[in-house]
Amino acid sequence: MEETREAEQAGEKVDENLKVAGGELLPVGRSGLRLRGWVVESRHCPIINSLAREQWEEKLVTSHLPEMVFGDSSLTLSHEKTGVKISFNAFDALSEWKQEGLPPVEVPAAAKWKFRSKPSQQVILDYDYTFTTPYCGSESVDRDPEKVEGSDRNRSLSWEDSSEGIDLVALASKEPILFYDEVVLYEDELADSGVSLLTVKVRVMPHCWFVLLRFWLRVDGVLMRLRDTRFYCSFGSDPNAIPIILRENCWREVTFQDLSAQGFSSDSASYSDPNLIMQRIPVIMKKIQKLRFPD
Amino acid sequence: MSVDPVPSNSHGQIDEQISQLMQCKPLSEQEVRVLCEKAKEILMEESNVQPVKSPVTICGDIHGQFHDLAELFRIGGKCPDTNYLFMGDYVDRGYYSVETVTLLVALKVRYPQRITILRGNHESRQITQVYGFYDECLRKYGNANVWKIFTDLFDYFPLTALVESEIFCLHGGLSPSIETLDNIRNFDRVQEVPHEGPMCDLLWSDPDDRCGWGISPRGAGYTFGQDISEQFNHTNNLKLIARAHQLVMEGFNWGHEQKVVTIFSAPNYCYRCGNMASILEVDDCKGHTFIQFEPAPRRGEPDVTRRTPDYFL
Repeated sequence: MEETREAEQAGEKVDENLKVAGGELLPVGRSGLRLRGWVVESRHCPIINSLAREQWEEKLVTSHLPEMVFGDSSLTLSHEKTGVKISFNAFDALSEWKQEGLPPVEVPAAAKWKFRSKPSQQVILDYDYTFTTPYCGSESVDRDPEKVEGSDRNRSLSWEDSSEGIDLVALASKEPILFYDEVVLYEDELADSGVSLLTVKVRVMPHCWFVLLRFWLRVDGVLMRLRDTRFYCSFGSDPNAIPIILRENCWREVTFQDLSAQGFSSDSASYSDPNLIMQRIPVIMKKIQKLRFPD
Repeated sequence: MSVDPVPSNSHGQIDEQISQLMQCKPLSEQEVRVLCEKAKEILMEESNVQPVKSPVTICGDIHGQFHDLAELFRIGGKCPDTNYLFMGDYVDRGYYSVETVTLLVALKVRYPQRITILRGNHESRQITQVYGFYDECLRKYGNANVWKIFTDLFDYFPLTALVESEIFCLHGGLSPSIETLDNIRNFDRVQEVPHEGPMCDLLWSDPDDRCGWGISPRGAGYTFGQDISEQFNHTNNLKLIARAHQLVMEGFNWGHEQKVVTIFSAPNYCYRCGNMASILEVDDCKGHTFIQFEPAPRRGEPDVTRRTPDYFL
């Protein structure tokens, strides 16, 4: 009871903050808000069923998908005036996994296995079972189809390198969070030899929104990968102006061998939360980009 | 009526323990110790291919989802009114591995002829240290003794069962080192699940669309194709291989032209997958019926759908 009341009070506080900030929640039954010209919406759905899996396998030309595919879950941030939409979904992420097509990570035990079955009956599964994806969101411009004419149709968004960084001071300022959510896009337990997880988190404050898309991989005893993409948009004074959206990619990777060479534990149980161990994983790629709108 | 030779008044204590466990309340460390000693006596007498009679209800992974196990018993019938065969993975992932595995072991001790509990790949020292059971024991008992008692007991769990000589039940799947059921009967199972070899395969392998033996670079078991299942069923006069180990949205999934079925009994797996669970009832006449079920209404479990905002960076 106590807990319910506290939750209710916290909820009322958020509603009040949202009103002060000039925003509103989406109608009942939907999860998200409308604020400063943006609509931020999340959807949580069950994993896709066997029939949908077959269809995805066909479309993606693969016979393997992560065991948990939250195919209908998503996070979408749309700018109403410009029609710019940034969204996150499992299908696009898996398309990019397929396209990147990394060679499989081999665990030491696997080498021994090859010798026990008759070579004539042997099939080597050579796909990237870690589902490592370079995905960093899907962007598009939704326009009223009637207004799209001629050259307009070719207008598309692109990302260009930027020297600006994400404003960490603003993000650390503990402005009230008006909307927060975390959506899992896909997950695989790697047959209990680790974890492969793609999630996206969002928080919307009175003056900005911030998104973290994270691919987290741990192959027990072999390696860890962390591919983070952060999105930041500070609201300008004019909700109709073209928004400035920054995107920062940061990829980290380390082998357990390197970890133990540095004197760190190579016990998988110490690596369950990427937030706690991120600093031990060296950065292998970092870039900051800005969303470029069609002229 | 009782099938057990022991007079009924001696069951007082265990019956009390079972009703305590049914309310999701764990036993004391000392009680667990005594219970597991008794269970060990019973399990060590069982075969690597434990024979089981119909009618029996076959169940897949539970993974510490205690309230869903209670729901399973509401739907499938109470033990011993219904006979049960569980195909492993009682612990890890869910919040109540301790209560779940203690209840199943207590039922085994109380009704040894009514319930069969096989070993899953999670019934292992190594896996439970990474995926939750070890931490849960520390949290609930303040030390690792109960974890040690249970993982020592897991070594005695049978690896496979055979229902009416025609349904072969196991956690994972087939192995290129095993052609006949006698091959399985002959090995010494009382040990930690090895990293490699036939015992490991039985607990880790998966059926696959591709023919032959698939070797996964991740090194966890083989995959076996329809040709392999057909050959194995033919050699051993089997009608069906029933196995668990993989999450399936519908709770069960036929494969290899009905030579293999996957059964998964943890609904809304990890409290967020939204999948159905199922159990397979095999009746007196060996007829099969799948019963699907949804998660039990939750009480006192953290609601993972309500997320606490955090200032992530």
